[in-house]
Amino acid sequence: MEFFERFAIPHPSPIIYASMVAIGITLLAIIAGLTFFKKWGYLWREWLTTVDHKRIGIMYLISALLMLFRGGVDALMMRAQLATPEAQLLDSQHYNEIFTTHGVVMIIFMAMAFIIALMNFVVPLQIGARDVAFPRLNALSFWLYFMGAMLFNLSFVIGGSPSSGWTSYFPLAGNEFSPSVGTNYYMIAIQIAGIGTLITGINFIVTILKMRAPGMKLMKMPMFTWSALITNLIITFAFPVLTVALAMGTMDRLFGTQFFTTGNGGMDMLWANLFWVWGHPEVYILVLPAFGIYSEIISTFAKRNLYGYKSMVASMVIISLLSFVVWVHHFFTMGQGAMVNSIFSITTMAIAVPTGIKIFNWLFTLYKGSIRFTVPMMYSLGFLPIFTIGGVTGVMLGMSAADYQYHNTMFLVAHFHLVIIPGVVFAMLAGLTYWWPKMFGFMLNERIGKWAFWFISVGTCVAFFPMFISGLDGQARRMYTYSESTGFGFWNMLSFVGAVALAIGFIIIVYNIYYSTRYASRDIGSDPWDARSLEWATHTPVPEYNFATIPEVDSSEAFWDSKYNGHKLFKGKLKEIHMPNNSGVPFIMSALFFVLGFSFIFSIWIGVIVSLLGICACLMHRSFEKDHGRHISLEEVEKTESELRGGK
Amino acid sequence: MKELFPLKQVMGFVFSLVLTAVALSVVMFDMSFAMGMTILLITAFVQAMLQLMVFMHARETEDSGLILANVYYGVFIAVVTVFGSLLALIWGYM
Amino acid sequence: MKLDHSQPLEYSSEQGRLNILGFWIFIGAEVMLFGTLFASYFTLEGRHGSGPSGAEIFEIAPVLFETILLLTSSFTVGLAIHAMRLNNKKAMMTFFIITLVLGLAFLSVEIYEFTHYIHEGAGLTVSAFSSALLTTLGTHGLHVTLGLFWGIFILIQVAKRGFTPETANKSFIFSLYWHFLDVVWIFIFSFIYLKGMM
Repeated sequence: MEFFERFAIPHPSPIIYASMVAIGITLLAIIAGLTFFKKWGYLWREWLTTVDHKRIGIMYLISALLMLFRGGVDALMMRAQLATPEAQLLDSQHYNEIFTTHGVVMIIFMAMAFIIALMNFVVPLQIGARDVAFPRLNALSFWLYFMGAMLFNLSFVIGGSPSSGWTSYFPLAGNEFSPSVGTNYYMIAIQIAGIGTLITGINFIVTILKMRAPGMKLMKMPMFTWSALITNLIITFAFPVLTVALAMGTMDRLFGTQFFTTGNGGMDMLWANLFWVWGHPEVYILVLPAFGIYSEIISTFAKRNLYGYKSMVASMVIISLLSFVVWVHHFFTMGQGAMVNSIFSITTMAIAVPTGIKIFNWLFTLYKGSIRFTVPMMYSLGFLPIFTIGGVTGVMLGMSAADYQYHNTMFLVAHFHLVIIPGVVFAMLAGLTYWWPKMFGFMLNERIGKWAFWFISVGTCVAFFPMFISGLDGQARRMYTYSESTGFGFWNMLSFVGAVALAIGFIIIVYNIYYSTRYASRDIGSDPWDARSLEWATHTPVPEYNFATIPEVDSSEAFWDSKYNGHKLFKGKLKEIHMPNNSGVPFIMSALFFVLGFSFIFSIWIGVIVSLLGICACLMHRSFEKDHGRHISLEEVEKTESELRGGK
Repeated sequence: MKELFPLKQVMGFVFSLVLTAVALSVVMFDMSFAMGMTILLITAFVQAMLQLMVFMHARETEDSGLILANVYYGVFIAVVTVFGSLLALIWGYM
Repeated sequence: MKLDHSQPLEYSSEQGRLNILGFWIFIGAEVMLFGTLFASYFTLEGRHGSGPSGAEIFEIAPVLFETILLLTSSFTVGLAIHAMRLNNKKAMMTFFIITLVLGLAFLSVEIYEFTHYIHEGAGLTVSAFSSALLTTLGTHGLHVTLGLFWGIFILIQVAKRGFTPETANKSFIFSLYWHFLDVVWIFIFSFIYLKGMM
């Protein structure tokens, strides 16, 4: 019995018991459904073992949307609790847990997954490749991320959630002040997902550098591919820092090391330092792909080629370097001297310059363009002003002397939400709507989509603008309640209204997906937006080999040239095609990582040893395996091609 | 037998032993901290370049530009992280 | 599979070239991993609380011995790749085995070193300095250990399958990994031990 006591929730409430029941029922329903419809084999063959970048992208997408729902519910609960003074909806411990999981889920498991979903689906198509460089590692990346996400969400019902903020600062996150296993979940679940992300980073760098279609020089890549390249470069160099920091935190909590303790020489601020050495580049990991998506969408719907291609590329390269030299601005109030703060203030303000260049480039692209107000375009246009407000307030925060006033207030919360929501969420929704027809063969309804856009963009402004004011009035972040005499009540109620509007917006998107799945036309051709880059040059739905013959390219908008300027994309003849085999190893290995993580969290050492041996066995199997992939015969390619052409 | 020991690699090995001996001098002789650190920085980075160029064949393929750019980028950021952390956590208080 | 015979065997297939570039980028990530460990170590170096400091526990003899073992193994793995390019399987395997034996010897000395530190009162949980020291050394040691197993797998494959584009590619990538571990050790040697004893 004693063994099982560790799994109990230290601080239970009716909400948690209700979710336990809900999770149990959902699991049973999924298992029963799969058994009843005899879909286990299909699931295993077509999805769990797939190495196809398109399917992996779609799995990332589904996971990201699930996590968006989870993080969104957290957000609504927080705003509901704060809507009125001295509310009793949540107690302080629950509020702490919820703001922690909201942050982690939204950044690590939603936003990261969403950008990787779109990169997975789009990048190989945009460069005219048949898959990524290491298809099997790609599957491993996804499953590690997925298992990490599941492990983290398990904390809600087994053992208790982390409650020391998404930044998990020590000593608060140490054993003394966070005795429950919650912070173990944080350390280990993010570690597992982080390894997956690092592998993605390496995979996509090699893919983009080495697998481009003939003629596509680096300076002729579509802008989204450029942004993906730079993003993955930052991933590759930033994530090892997180790996080390998390490993040290785990060792402090489980093995009694002294890295971040307050005695025996430990230094709690070293955690903050390492966390932000990763954390600041992470911001650009999220926002650069978004910039890439906006570049694609704005030039497509303004019917103009992107203004200032070279300066766009240069600004991203500069951002990638500068993003590694600004991290101290997250803790200007630590107590270091004016000299250090000044250095990092200057670097912080410098990084606003390349970002500003990009904003102007988009504006110049729009100038004299013939603009079509489609849903993706509306998100892009909504992004420009809202993001600029978020960005400019960031420069305010970046001035270290002034930061003493803003630090840890709702002003900061308003700033980063107004950067991340238009910068990342709008871009993801825009990209999702834009590439949806390529993924699923039909378009999302434009009219319903516009309703969602207005709810989301107005909701964002209503939810977060008031926080600037209450923050300057002194409302601290992460406080679970406040007294009426503070006068924060009105602003927080306004925020709550905005949050509800945002939620309605997302519900409309879900309805839109349902509605369009049922009623939208399937007869849309392969290029419904009249777009410019290569992903639109292949059929819809995309055959598993992407391109029957590899396209040849001589500009960054080769597909546009092939439609209007007489460029010939496909010159070669059909040949048999070499493709990688599916494999169950990535899934099995990641499942073992799940067991490993779970055992670590609860210090069940026998589980640690067994799962580690299993992981080693998987690696060994991979080392000795002979796998040369398979060939799709010429007849089969011809058959598929003629069917897809006939379907148009 | 002789063909198994290419001159370039043998010389590289000898040179790396010499560099180790030079580095060792900082504990053998009495010298200032600045002097010692200068010697160590030079020997360590030369040694690293030696491994990179002689043993790891970093320059032999069409991708060598990419490979070296990647390594230099990594080293740059690692150096920034090391010195930036020291600046923020130790030197900034002096 | 399309093979390009103008290049060494390890570069001859398309996938082989991708693997090598991918591994180089992984090495970039590893640079950052060890960079972070160094950043932490330097920050915590002077903070040994009530435990011993570096100058009190470091011994030059075993450290120098480890350095020479690893430098030599880096040299021999280079010779193994050279022999592979001469298509001399026997020499390649001999050099490879020497490399792994030297790696094992390195690990043995490192284990002695660890027990020495614990004996001197610098266990993992004693102070921030000892935690950072043992974690940094341990991470390198773990890399060497994994490398030993990986090297044995590759050796078995070369013995059974001879030089194919795959086995040549794996051997070459292993040599990159091994040289890189040597580079990391040089930095540990210079900036942890020698600096600590200066």
